[in-house]
Amino acid sequence: MVKGYMNKWLKVNLTTQELEEFTFSDEILRKFIGGKGIAVHYMWEYAKKLEEKRINLQEMDALSPDNILVFATGPVTGTKSPNSGRHHVMALKSPLTGSIGSGNSGGRWGAKLKFAGYDGIIVVGKADRPTYLSLIDKKAELHDATELWGKNSIETSDWLRTKHNVKRAGVSCIGPAGENLVPIAVIMNEEHRAAGRTGLGAVMGSKNFKAIIVEGKAKPEIANPKEFGSKVKEHVEKLKENGVTGQGLPTYGTAVLVNIVNQNGLFPTKNWQSGVFDEAEKLSGETLTEEYLISKHPCYGCVVACGRKTKVDKGNYKTSYTEGPEYESIWALGGSTAVSDMSAVIRANHYCDILGMDPISMGSTIAAAMELTQNGKIPEDDSQGLKVEFGNPDAVVELAWMTAYRQGLGYWIGEGSRKMCQHYGAPDLSMEVKGLEMPAYDPRGAKGIGLNYATSNRGGCHVTGYTIAAEVLGDVDRFTIEGKAELTKTFQDFTSIVNSSVNCLFLTFALGLDEYAEMIGPITGWDVNADELLKTGERITNLERMILNKLGLSGKDDTLPKRLTDEKMPSGPSEGQTVDLETMKQEYYHLRGWEDGIPTVSKISELGLN
Amino acid sequence: MKVLVKVFATLRKKYPEINDMNPLVLEFEEGVTAKEIIKKLDFQISEIHLILLNGRKIKPETSISDNNGILSLFPPIGGG
Ligand code: SF4
Repeated sequence: MVKGYMNKWLKVNLTTQELEEFTFSDEILRKFIGGKGIAVHYMWEYAKKLEEKRINLQEMDALSPDNILVFATGPVTGTKSPNSGRHHVMALKSPLTGSIGSGNSGGRWGAKLKFAGYDGIIVVGKADRPTYLSLIDKKAELHDATELWGKNSIETSDWLRTKHNVKRAGVSCIGPAGENLVPIAVIMNEEHRAAGRTGLGAVMGSKNFKAIIVEGKAKPEIANPKEFGSKVKEHVEKLKENGVTGQGLPTYGTAVLVNIVNQNGLFPTKNWQSGVFDEAEKLSGETLTEEYLISKHPCYGCVVACGRKTKVDKGNYKTSYTEGPEYESIWALGGSTAVSDMSAVIRANHYCDILGMDPISMGSTIAAAMELTQNGKIPEDDSQGLKVEFGNPDAVVELAWMTAYRQGLGYWIGEGSRKMCQHYGAPDLSMEVKGLEMPAYDPRGAKGIGLNYATSNRGGCHVTGYTIAAEVLGDVDRFTIEGKAELTKTFQDFTSIVNSSVNCLFLTFALGLDEYAEMIGPITGWDVNADELLKTGERITNLERMILNKLGLSGKDDTLPKRLTDEKMPSGPSEGQTVDLETMKQEYYHLRGWEDGIPTVSKISELGLN
Repeated sequence: MKVLVKVFATLRKKYPEINDMNPLVLEFEEGVTAKEIIKKLDFQISEIHLILLNGRKIKPETSISDNNGILSLFPPIGGG
């Protein structure tokens, strides 16, 4: 048995209430590592079984009992390697996008799942009443969750910890938004951390599955403890010495990006009508630190501590305790909507946390609603007196609450910008890819991130291939398209390794693939190097793409909104720019060995995927 | 020639009052380099990771000749 793993997975069939334990072979673990990789492998096999049962995957409802949820850790999770408390969650189909569902979460739940004795959990079927799962000290049990239904993420976590008498247990759960099947619902854990994108919370809600509580004392065994210990020490030193992980992130959190992105003129403002927000300073990490910060809050085993504990002492949006907001949430709920009141952003983000919704999709869809209003597309009856206008903080805070309960215009916000803009007859105002709202960097000012948005398997996403690290924060020319195909491919495949290990993506500001080999090697006992890891990352990205192809997605879906390819950036430091996506995309497909967004037979066989 | 200097993140420890909305306005001869301005502000060049002139990356040696140019200085920062 390979070390580093607990070598035990749990399959939960909510329809039959059966619990079954199983393992993966050593060969499969080496091929897919864990986390996202192993989840993709499992879902590929599962998708084939559904096809054998003559279930049409393209027509399958993401909220049907046939959809599957995978909660996965990897060999690095829960070890002494830094920042290793994270876990990955996937669904075969996202209710928001129709593509694959995928989210990576911080916190400590991932580590605690391993301490409870399990590497991961598969959830299929649908319970006939609200249900939750406890995994405590290697024992798995399903319980009635009727009393929990309707509770928010804080209440749910408190209730479960009290009920099971485990004070610091990890709790993953949905809030009211997931219960109400809102397509932008998330799965929360540790109250303020989320597997945050593609509507995974609605999939959980559709299964009548409220929560998973995990706790235990088991520890993963390490194959070569001595070597591992010395590498951990080296890696921690590198993280402390690095300016980003040793200073920038610990001092200001991710919100430190607000100013630099705005100074570069790619901070999407007013639903991407501009790349500069004149009042960005009020939303900056510097302002957050000076006026709202209580203290830092690291995830399990984290030596960086980008997490923030915050509060709002005065004004309309008093909040005695919350966490965040992250850069992306600040941008979506603030810059995108042209709201410069940080306290309103904190309040709206708090609602997203406790009610269980994705603040990126939330803010971006509200911004689209504001542009629809600007263009006279939303009838007054629909907005019910609420001024859904750029710059109005009340609209953002109110709509965040209304969305969880599907009230008024909140219904359409919850459906995401693609469906909402189609409904109001202006589909071009929807700023998403594959139905997933794009995050906080306008690719007209950094071309590589545009290629990543277009080709990312889960849709408009930055963390699957964060080329911003090179284009804006590093030395690479942000405007050229030359070399961006290769840059994007490398970032994507490396990220697949991070999300399969599973630890924190922010490590990659200081640690490269060699260091990942130095973690995974001594933990597992494999003689693994950077080249093998990059190939493994490529295998995972490709298999995920093959699932997309089964769901009916291909090159036609690797697109960007017209605003980015056809409308020149109107002003600021990225003025006059558009994205020449087609040229980059063809080069990217060529490098990937794909034809029209589909891996070729020879690529599939090269990666050992046939 | 006027240069509008903005400093960010940990660089504000030295200039807490300077921000995006309140730049430091300094007079220089045309052709001054970014490095000279950084020295004048009493920063070590090693403290500065990114220099933007009107939102475009420049090198410390780049000389500046536009009146009212905006010089933004950053230490190493990142996020996601
Ligand atoms: S750097 Fe931030 S997100 Fe990453 S593990 Fe630490 S606190 Fe969590």
